[in-house]
Amino acid sequence: MLRIEHLSKTFDTIKAVDDITLEVQKGEIFGLLGPNGAGKTTAISMIAGLLKPDSGKIVVDSMDLESNLRNIKKIIGVVPQDMAFYEELSAKENLLFWGKLQGVKGKILGARIDSYLKVTGLLGRERDLLKKYSGGMKRRINLIIGLIHQPKLLLLDEPTIGIDIQTRLNIYSLIKEASSQGTTVLYTTHNLQEAEELCHRIAIMDHGKILAVGTLEELIQIVGEKDIIIVKGKFSMDQGRDITALFKDASVLSLKEGKIMLSLEASKKMPLLLEEFFKQGIGIDDVAIKQPNLESVFLKLTGRELRE
Amino acid sequence: MKNILHLIRKDFKRKWRNPVVLLGFLLIPVVFTFIFGLVFGSSEEVILPKVQVLVADKDTSIFSQFLLTALSQGELKKFMKIEVVEEEQGRKLLDKGKASALLIIPENFGDDAWEGRRAELLLLKNPSEQFLPQIAEEIVDTATLLFSALFSVFSDEITVLQNVISKGELTDLDIADLSIQVKNRMEGVGKFVFPPVISLKQQTVSEKEEEKTSSLSVQGYILPAIAIMFLLFICNIVFEDMLREKEKGTLLRMSVSPMKLSEFIWSKTLTSALIGMLCTFVLIAIGRIIFSIYWGNIFLLLLIIICLNIMLAGFIAFIYSFIHTERQAGAVLSSVILVMSMLGGSMMPVENFPPFIQKISQLTLNYWGLRAFHKAIQRDPFSDFIPILVGMLGAGIFFSFIGSYFMKKNLRKGLLK
Repeated sequence: MLRIEHLSKTFDTIKAVDDITLEVQKGEIFGLLGPNGAGKTTAISMIAGLLKPDSGKIVVDSMDLESNLRNIKKIIGVVPQDMAFYEELSAKENLLFWGKLQGVKGKILGARIDSYLKVTGLLGRERDLLKKYSGGMKRRINLIIGLIHQPKLLLLDEPTIGIDIQTRLNIYSLIKEASSQGTTVLYTTHNLQEAEELCHRIAIMDHGKILAVGTLEELIQIVGEKDIIIVKGKFSMDQGRDITALFKDASVLSLKEGKIMLSLEASKKMPLLLEEFFKQGIGIDDVAIKQPNLESVFLKLTGRELRE
Repeated sequence: MKNILHLIRKDFKRKWRNPVVLLGFLLIPVVFTFIFGLVFGSSEEVILPKVQVLVADKDTSIFSQFLLTALSQGELKKFMKIEVVEEEQGRKLLDKGKASALLIIPENFGDDAWEGRRAELLLLKNPSEQFLPQIAEEIVDTATLLFSALFSVFSDEITVLQNVISKGELTDLDIADLSIQVKNRMEGVGKFVFPPVISLKQQTVSEKEEEKTSSLSVQGYILPAIAIMFLLFICNIVFEDMLREKEKGTLLRMSVSPMKLSEFIWSKTLTSALIGMLCTFVLIAIGRIIFSIYWGNIFLLLLIIICLNIMLAGFIAFIYSFIHTERQAGAVLSSVILVMSMLGGSMMPVENFPPFIQKISQLTLNYWGLRAFHKAIQRDPFSDFIPILVGMLGAGIFFSFIGSYFMKKNLRKGLLK
């Protein structure tokens, strides 16, 4: 459904997107995971035809974007971070406007509006002006606008920022429903939990590059089967480095003064690790053992936590 | 075209939901016209200040008393206030600006007039006032002319009266003789005076009669002048909204739809022109109902409204093609509109400017719009309108196309934050 080949974009001297290549299948929910400034929005803007790439190729539904932009726009839906609608109009007026602009008309449009409002729990409030809606309700309308013409490719740019868990789950179910009906979803986020919960496959992006692509399980393989051990205490970076050097099969995910995170077989090596700390007279404040997850993968790939 | 209509409908709906700013801009020209009408209009209820005239009577003869009485009686009493003072006191009061003029009746004024010698009155005017001393001058001038005429017509009788008085005693025969002479004189001039050959008939012009006239009332000047200025501000509101759409992300969302960016720009230009037209209709109706302005031929008026608003919307679109933010728009547009309105006659008549500024005025939109409206009110022939209408329409289309071209580039650049 979507194929990107060697896509690059530079702003002045900053390489916002650096030679990325990926392929997304029909009906797939594909997550672009990365911190702010990783190049996710630039990539999505080029796919939406808003930004011209410096080099590379984008193919949507077997059509080259550069030569078929107008046709491709008909099958793309976008949900931006901002609440991109008219607050002076009611929910229904907004949906009618955006639907008609996308070429949906008459009874079909009316039926779709009713259906989406029902699914999102907004039926009965459709005549209220959007300025009277809560933040969560506005987010739902923002998503429905992107879905109203049932696009083949839906681009979602962090659509769940600042909303409650109930609305978040409602939005997830809408996205999953669209995906099950054949809509391909490209979802940018910097929320690890969201990516884990929602996406079939995830690409981890940083500094404009794609560092790894795969399903959650495939990505976790990068860190291995080992557990993630986090030790917090009163030690310097040098002390931490000396201790971890004693464990040849451990891979250090993060090392800071007072905190160390490493991938290690916990059941066998944990007592030895703690013993080393005690031997050197280092006081330990906290010890935690976690299963490998996206956070550890991101740490392993970038050397820093996603929220940094 | 379908998308453009769809976008226009959406914008109209939004404006309808939030009409406060538009109504404010509509109200201001009406209020301005009302106030200007009160100050300069011809309403009978208008109260003009009285002209304060000081009189230093150094003659104190029967003639000076007669002059004083004439100046403070009848119609003159309504707008002249005469106060008799000593000359020195009068000069001091005039220096302090307490009066508009000081009339000095010199010594022997009566004797000189009596004996047919040249008698002069001296009128000192207050330099700090412009209009009131002028009124005083006109009145005194007229009064002296009448006195002069009186002395010329009755010169023989005055001579007889003078001789009689100089003898020191007045007999019944003298009085009878003088009366006969005056009677004969009056009979001679009577046919010119009673009834007067020329008379002034006062009448308040009725509405229907006003329609037949082609003069430009104060309101007829002010309302279109201020209206054009505020129509520019109204156009500005629509284009400001375009920047808000860019900021809010709705434009970005539209850009990913099958809609073309040029359709969005044209929709804003047309919305601006259509809202401007509606507002002009409202102002014209208010002008007719409240200020009794007769706007001339309705078909012609319709053409003026259409051409004018296309020109204004096109011009604002052109300016916006160089503007990136609302803050920039606020600063640039306000300055452009105010300067153009000042030069174009929206704040004061262009005829009052020096010739070289009058030439600059012709480069403003206000000037051409105002000319069209004034010509309509003055019922000028249709051929006079053709170049103005063609010019306005041409300028509007030209500005719209240039604006659309540059704005497309401008908007594309700023679409992504």
